[in-house]
Amino acid sequence: MPNMDPKKCPMPVQDPEVRNKNFDEVALGYTYEMAVEEAKRCLNCKHKPCQNGCPVGIDIPAFIGKVAEEDMEGAFEILSASSALPAVCGRVCPQETQCEGKCVRGIKHEPVGIGRLERFVADWHREHSSEKPKMPEQNGIKVAVIGSGPSGLTAAGDLAKMGYKVTVYEALHTAGGVLVYGIPEFRLPKEIVRQEIDGLRAIGVDVETDVVIGRTLTIDELFDMGNEAVFIGSGAGLPRFMGIPGESLNGVYSANEFLTRINLMKAYKPDSKTPIQHAKNVAIVGGGNVAMDAARCAKRLGAENVYIVYRRGMEELPARREEIEHAEEEGIIFKTLSNPIEVLGDENGYVKGMVCQEMELGEPDASGRRRPVPKEGATFTLDVDCMVMSIGTSPNPLIRSTTPGLETNKHGCIITNGDDGLTTREAVYAGGDAVTGAATVILAMGAGKHAAKAIDAYLKEKHGK
Amino acid sequence: MFKIVEKEALNPTVTKMVVEAPLVARKAQPGQFIIYRASEDGERVPLTIADYDREKGTVTIIFQIVGGSTMELNTLNVGDSLVDFVGPLGMPSHLDGLKKVAVVGGGVGCAIAYPTAKRLHELGAEVHSIIGFRNQDLVILEKEFEAVSTRVVKMSDDGSWGEKGLVTNALEKLIEEGNQYDEVIAIGPIIMMKFVSELTKKHNIKTMVSMNPIMIDGTGMCGGCRLTVGGETKFACVDGPDFDGHLVDFDEAMHRGGMYRDFEKHAREAECNLLKKEVE
Repeated sequence: MPNMDPKKCPMPVQDPEVRNKNFDEVALGYTYEMAVEEAKRCLNCKHKPCQNGCPVGIDIPAFIGKVAEEDMEGAFEILSASSALPAVCGRVCPQETQCEGKCVRGIKHEPVGIGRLERFVADWHREHSSEKPKMPEQNGIKVAVIGSGPSGLTAAGDLAKMGYKVTVYEALHTAGGVLVYGIPEFRLPKEIVRQEIDGLRAIGVDVETDVVIGRTLTIDELFDMGNEAVFIGSGAGLPRFMGIPGESLNGVYSANEFLTRINLMKAYKPDSKTPIQHAKNVAIVGGGNVAMDAARCAKRLGAENVYIVYRRGMEELPARREEIEHAEEEGIIFKTLSNPIEVLGDENGYVKGMVCQEMELGEPDASGRRRPVPKEGATFTLDVDCMVMSIGTSPNPLIRSTTPGLETNKHGCIITNGDDGLTTREAVYAGGDAVTGAATVILAMGAGKHAAKAIDAYLKEKHGK
Repeated sequence: MFKIVEKEALNPTVTKMVVEAPLVARKAQPGQFIIYRASEDGERVPLTIADYDREKGTVTIIFQIVGGSTMELNTLNVGDSLVDFVGPLGMPSHLDGLKKVAVVGGGVGCAIAYPTAKRLHELGAEVHSIIGFRNQDLVILEKEFEAVSTRVVKMSDDGSWGEKGLVTNALEKLIEEGNQYDEVIAIGPIIMMKFVSELTKKHNIKTMVSMNPIMIDGTGMCGGCRLTVGGETKFACVDGPDFDGHLVDFDEAMHRGGMYRDFEKHAREAECNLLKKEVE
């Protein structure tokens, strides 16, 4: 008998006034009982609309059915057949526009808490299972993966399960890409990322850190080293700046720099050897998930006032609703319909304020969103001593500039042939933000999955299997 | 892990280390740099590649002990390893086709100027090296410069070594003597590179400088190392570190370099205390 409660079982969270002072995980996760109860809300639909909403196609009713039967290990097996990083995705996927957005229970009431259940199962497995992952049967064919973010890790995991000898090359000193340098500890504990990557190592994936493809090695050299296919999952890490006066003042960060110092280098810890400015009043420019992460980090570093400065309105904020709500609960102040036009500095070259232009919304633009237009003569000054630019990123030019024959579009994104991720170079595939520009973790994972399938088909044909 | 195979104190504050890093050694070119972390909780620090041996698979770094992280690096000895050593990063210097060059090195900047002078010498250029130090005790690479230069002018602030005065005095004299340089390459403290650039601008001699802003990743993903060059924002780690000295906004670069001064002072004291404790 299904549980017909119209609402999702709420997930325990840290109190906003407590959590905005620490970097511990905000959402605490379901207890065993909560998970079983929530699992019983699933109607086990025959046509599984939720599965179609999942970019990696997890058999959602099947894994939830196992949770309802209290067979957690069985649930984990179903999850891991489709997803390389369930503990990550259960936490950071925008489920409301994916699996949960398609849930039948969501038509009249709240959808089943699919993400929360995925997270519970992955965490349960990590804490309770001592079973070593089985080493797949090896086919002796080498494949190189560039970048250890969500797309690269997914491609690597899937290829390893198919028997390929996979080496992942990562430029930074820690694997995980945006999962380690971008998404803060309080949304995604780094220990979880580390353990998911250890899981990949256990099935034979080699992860080489401190290797910058395009500098340390080129794609052509990866082929010389015996790799028969290459997957590029190098992301979109090049930050944009606004080009306004004063942007070079001390205290103006790109969101990538601010978050890398905090998340990868642990600059929030008192004994960290990497410094970060502990500002009193911080403005984050932009309205995406990265802006919310930066704002919530700034608050946790002890800022009194943290502003989100965004040129459109509250309705147009591109960040996930849940992130916006969490930010509001934690005391982040939203200055919408405001666009910075100048950064003001003090006599020592540090930020002391920013001049903003008030905006109003005009006609919809090409993206379908109403275009912000300046309100004649309406400007104001915000007193801030730190500014974080979170207005987007584009793919890094290092790989495209060192790989002959690899074509990119005018935004620097790698051009691929539809879904399989094949680039303009034979045996070179790409996926994730390197192809799409900045997008989501799960879309990157989906791209990694598709490319792994295409690489397998290509190599099987090449070897006449 | 990257093993230290040689270590030598060049003077009381400057150390040379040779590190096993075959992939970096295979690709390294003059003007490029590496980023190291000495230990698991260490920060990422950029250092220019001072030399490399492709056959032995080693890379030489020369660093001044200026703060917590370089002190930590200096505690490591032959046989110890650095946890991270990534590179080569940045664009190589453009040295081909130069016939007569003045290479100006200031202080520990001489460690970066040396491979440039050496490479120019190998390419058959006439190299005039002007190397300056605060005093005799801080001199490094004197013999090395002599071996690769047509002419070496030695300067010290206090006159305890070579001639008394600044490298700009020496450069001005050489220019006034009628030396026609295709290019001046200046590497050292920002203030020195600024004054060299101002001097050569007057004489209309193309000048390249090697900038050393604060860096974190060194791969172009954060913009912490951004500079204004010819009115445009450039990332020193991917667009540089070499730039046209007549286009760089040096004053802005100096401000940005001092951003974490208080933190750095604190880190240096903390590291000092730690080292003292270990001695006791």
